[in-house]
Amino acid sequence: MKNMTPEEHAQMQGHHHEVSIEEKEMNSWKKKMLISWIFIIPIVFLMLSERVLGIVILEENLMKIVILVLAFPVIFIFGWPTIKQGIRGLFTFYFNMDSLIALGTIIAYATGFLSFAGIVQDYSGVSAMIMAFFTTGKYVESIARGKAGQEIRKLMKLGAKKARILDGDKEIEVEISAVKIGDIIVVRPGEKIPTDGIVIKGESAVDESMVTGESLPVDKKKGDNVIGATINQDGVLYIKATKIGKDTFLSHIIQLVEEAQGTKVPIQKLADKITSVFVPAVLIISVLTFFGWFYFSKDLNRSLGIAISVLVIACPCALGLATPTALMVGSGIGAKNGILIRKGEAIQTMKEVKTVVFDKTGTITKGLPEVTDMFSSIDEKEFLKIAASLESVSEHPISKAIVNKAKEKKIKLVDVKKFKVERGRGIRGDVQGKNVLIGNRKLMSENKINFSKYENNISKLEGEGKTTIIVSVSKKVLGIIGVADEIKSDSLEAIKRLQKNGYRTVMITGDNEKTAKAIALRAGIKEVISNVLPEDKEKKVIEMQKRGMVAFVGDGINDAPALKQSNVGIAMGTGTDIAIESGDIVLAKGSLIGVVQAINLSKETFKKIKQNLFWAFFYNSIAVPLAILGFLNPVIAEMAMATSSVSVVGNALLLMRKKI
Amino acid sequence: MTKIKLTIEGMHCASCASNVERAVKKVKGVKDVNVSLMTNKCFVEMENADKEEIKKAVGKVGYKVVGIEE
Repeated sequence: MKNMTPEEHAQMQGHHHEVSIEEKEMNSWKKKMLISWIFIIPIVFLMLSERVLGIVILEENLMKIVILVLAFPVIFIFGWPTIKQGIRGLFTFYFNMDSLIALGTIIAYATGFLSFAGIVQDYSGVSAMIMAFFTTGKYVESIARGKAGQEIRKLMKLGAKKARILDGDKEIEVEISAVKIGDIIVVRPGEKIPTDGIVIKGESAVDESMVTGESLPVDKKKGDNVIGATINQDGVLYIKATKIGKDTFLSHIIQLVEEAQGTKVPIQKLADKITSVFVPAVLIISVLTFFGWFYFSKDLNRSLGIAISVLVIACPCALGLATPTALMVGSGIGAKNGILIRKGEAIQTMKEVKTVVFDKTGTITKGLPEVTDMFSSIDEKEFLKIAASLESVSEHPISKAIVNKAKEKKIKLVDVKKFKVERGRGIRGDVQGKNVLIGNRKLMSENKINFSKYENNISKLEGEGKTTIIVSVSKKVLGIIGVADEIKSDSLEAIKRLQKNGYRTVMITGDNEKTAKAIALRAGIKEVISNVLPEDKEKKVIEMQKRGMVAFVGDGINDAPALKQSNVGIAMGTGTDIAIESGDIVLAKGSLIGVVQAINLSKETFKKIKQNLFWAFFYNSIAVPLAILGFLNPVIAEMAMATSSVSVVGNALLLMRKKI
Repeated sequence: MTKIKLTIEGMHCASCASNVERAVKKVKGVKDVNVSLMTNKCFVEMENADKEEIKKAVGKVGYKVVGIEE
C-alpha cells in the first residue's frame, strides 16, 4: 500500500473516477447510431420515392452512385469496428456476430457496383440500413445492459472518497487512499463512515442498509465495529481504522458479486455450446440457402437477398445474453438486500432444495451466550473464580460468557496448569493445585462424577433452552452454570415462512437434546439433531441428502465443511467479517429472513433465465427458417434480430419489479 | 495458483465472451478462465502464466485488456 504512486492508487480504486466501460460503449454506439441515421435518411427517401412511389428524382446510374457514396461511411467508417472484427473472425476462426453482419453488409454493398454491369439488383442501400439498424439495436441493448448492472455499479461507487483523520489535536482531511490502519477518523452526523473500524469514542445510530440491507439503523457505542460506506446518523463518532482498501467489508462484497458474474449457471451450457458453433453454422446455412434458391428459382437477385437475410437474422446474442443478464439483475437485487450470490449454480440448485438445515449458535441464535443462572454449594464468587479461571484459557463462546461474568463481578482470576480441551464435552486443568473439570453430562459420566444432586436444576435450565455447564473439583461437583444464547428476533418468522412454503426445516447443534429442543420449539423448528460434534455436521448433511437436496445455513466459520457438502451453502457474513470461501450464497446481515429472500430471489432469477432461454431458442428456430424460406427482406430481418436481443435484456430487467 | 482479474474492452456479444475465453485458455499456464460479458471482466486462474502473453492473446482475437488486478 505504502509504495504506491497516485496513479496506481487510482487504478486500484478501479472505475470509480473515470467513465466506465459500459458508459464508454454506450456513448460510442450512440454516436455511431446518430451519424449513421443522418446518412440513412436520404437513402431511404431516394429508395422509397423510386421503388414505392415511382417518382424518379435522379437518373438511375446517378442514384446508384449517390447511394453508394452515402452508404460508404455508414458501413466502412462508423461500422468499421464491426467490419474489422467480423473479417478478423472469419480469418482466425474466432467468429462472432460481427462476422455475420460484416459479410452481409459487404456482399450487399458490393452488389451496388455489380449492378452497373447489370449482373444483380442493387442492394447497397439495404446494406447501409442493415448496419444502421444493427448499430441502433446495439445502442438500445447497451442502455438496457447498463440498467441491468446499475445496482452493482451503485455498490462500486458506494465507498467514501475522503476521510477526516486526527493528527494530534488537529483534524485533517485526506484522500481515502491515504488512510492507514490505526488512524483515528472523525465522523460527524450525516457523514459516510470512510472505512471499517472500531468506535473508540462517541455514540450514534448508523444506517447500514446500503451494505447489509438491514433497514433499521444500528446503535454504535465504544467498542463496536462499524462498516465503511455506512452513514452515521446522529452523533459524532471517533473511529480507529481496522481495515482499509481491498480488505474492507464493502470491497469483499464487491469482489464477491463481481466474481459471481463470471460463474456459470448449468442450464446455460446448452446455449453456450450452441453459441460457439452458431456463427459458422449460420454461414454454412446461408451459403446453402443461396445455392438452393438459385438452383430452383434461377433468380440471382432473389437468392442473394434471401442469403443476406439469413446472415443477418440469426442472433447468437439473444442466446448468449439470456443467462448473464438475468444473473446480473438478480445479483443486483440481492446485493441491495444484503444477499450475495457467489455462484450462479446455486440459483439453479435452489429450486430442487427440499430441506433447510440451520446451525444453532450464531445462526438461529445471536451467538452471544450469557450466563443467566448459577447454582453452587459454595460461595458464588469463589465458585465463579475457579470456573472462570479455567475457562479463560479456552476460546469457546461459552467460555467467554463465563469469563465475562467474572469480569462483571470484578473477580480476579488465577493461573491454570495442564489445560486440556475435551472435544465436544468440555475442558479440564489444574486450578489452585486442584484438578478441575468443566463440561456437559457426558464428560461427568465418563469421569464417573455423580451430579444427581443438581439433576433438578439442570433439567429445569435445559427445559428453558439453556446450555448447562457442570463444574467439578477433585471429582466432586461444585455447582452448575446456565448459559443462554438469545434467539434472533426474526428467526421464528423466517422459519414459519419457510415451512409455509413447504420446506422441511432442521436444527443441528452440539447441545444436548433437551436444551436443543427447547430452543428449536421457540424458533418453530420441529426436527432437531442434537449432540453433534462440530466435525460431524458434514456427515449429518450427507445423511439428509439421501432424501433430497439440502441447503445448509451456518455462520461460515466452523461450519465450512457442512456448507460445502450441502447442495446450497448459505453463509452468514456476520456484519463485519465475511466468510467468502465457504458459502454459495452469503448473507451480509445476520437475519434469517435473508434465507427466505435468498430462496425467493434464486427461484425468480432462475425462472427469468428459463424464460429468456426459451424466447431466444424460439426466436432463432422461427426466424431462421422464415428467412430461409424467403419471407423476410434483409432490412426486416436485421430489425427482427436487433429486437430479439433487446427483448431478452428487457425481459431480464422485469425481474427488478419482483418483490423478494 | 494465482488469480487475476482482467478488464476487457470491446466485448459486445455472447460470442465475444466465448472468444476471449477460448483465446486466454490457450495461453500456457492458464488453468481456468471465466468471462463475464456483463461486467467486462475476465477471471483467470493460472500457474506461472505470463500476463503479457494473456494480453497478447486477447488482443489477437480483437479485444483490449485495459486493466489487470491481482
